[in-house]
Amino acid sequence: MSSYAQPHSRVSVLSTSSQSSVEHLSPAASSTRFSLPSIPTTPQPKPAGVRPNIYDRNLNKTRITEVSAAAFTFLFSETVQYTQKRVSGINDLERRLNTLGYRIGTRVLELMVWRAEGQSKAPKREIRLLPALMSIHTQVWRAVFGKPADAIEKSVDNADEYMIVDNDPLIERYISVPRDMSQLSCSSFTAGIVEAVLDGLGFPARVTAHSTPKAQYPSCTTILIKLEKSVLEREEVLK
Amino acid sequence: MSHHLYLLSPSDTPLYSLTFYSTRPTSTVSSPLAGNLPNWSTSAFAGTLTALSGASSSAHQTSSGTVRMGGGQDRHVIQMIANASLDVIEDAMKTQTTMYFKSVDKFNEWTVSAFVTPGNMKFLLLHEGKNDDGIKAFFTDVWELYVKTMLNPFHTAHTPVRSAVFDTRVRASAKKYL
Repeated sequence: MSSYAQPHSRVSVLSTSSQSSVEHLSPAASSTRFSLPSIPTTPQPKPAGVRPNIYDRNLNKTRITEVSAAAFTFLFSETVQYTQKRVSGINDLERRLNTLGYRIGTRVLELMVWRAEGQSKAPKREIRLLPALMSIHTQVWRAVFGKPADAIEKSVDNADEYMIVDNDPLIERYISVPRDMSQLSCSSFTAGIVEAVLDGLGFPARVTAHSTPKAQYPSCTTILIKLEKSVLEREEVLK
Repeated sequence: MSHHLYLLSPSDTPLYSLTFYSTRPTSTVSSPLAGNLPNWSTSAFAGTLTALSGASSSAHQTSSGTVRMGGGQDRHVIQMIANASLDVIEDAMKTQTTMYFKSVDKFNEWTVSAFVTPGNMKFLLLHEGKNDDGIKAFFTDVWELYVKTMLNPFHTAHTPVRSAVFDTRVRASAKKYL
């Protein structure tokens, strides 16, 4: 019978106390009632919505943290679908994805170089084309995708064209392009990032993405960089 | 001792400017032209003319508290000197691999130092006198603050910087190093 007596006594305690004051209805008091782990009240938890200002945060804090691939894939899939509803063709879609990537690229460049050079006594800039392309191939890819790109090639036919090859682009891993849109390459987004980095470094270029499937790498993608004439002229002068 | 800082976008639009008066005593570089020129004070453009001619001493009253007129202290003259130095900076950018350009340009009593970020943002500082290490440390601070501003998804390379926190931080850094 004692097992029945216990709840009764509790109810009676509650009823008398609730008559005496309404304070006991507050969450702090009810925690004893439901025997939840008691919340320490002295260090007030930060009110929701107030987050540390960006200027108070350390830029190196997120250096080695990673983003969930699943979450990113969902976001990117929504991005592509959203964009697709608002364009008239594949070219337009690729151009818009490129623009979105460009916004990322400007930030990637500043942040990446700050992390590499910010603490050094004499921070360096890149003014030659080939080292800049190499740093895109390794550093930018590592900062964005966590691994260097698979190859960098120079076009045989055109002196102003360079290609960066990624055998398994992260952003296309869960994308299958319909047959009637086979020209579409969602890596236009990556192309935008590359374009922004090149622009920032002072090598204006037109960057596009093309699917170049191989036997063992069906989603292999080539990022084609077509440099502006002024870049090659400057390289000649600097030689 | 005043300092003028300008942040310029890759297309050379000013995004942020700051005038900072430091109280530190530093030897000012005297202009060789000063004193050899007639007094322009009757002209309506006295300030501009004296400033451009280099007769900086004519209107300087460096004793505490008094406002300095002419002699390169006018806002529009300062802006013009900053603008003119852009050509020199762009030339230097093409051949030098550093981000910090120490005393890249000189005009009368003003020295221009610059800092170019990888994304082609330019920070210009007009200063009198020498303070290389301080200016470099100051630029490094401004760079970090700018990168943080840039990480705001709503900010572009062409958006003026209006954040009050940014302003406070830059002023604090200026106070520390300049």
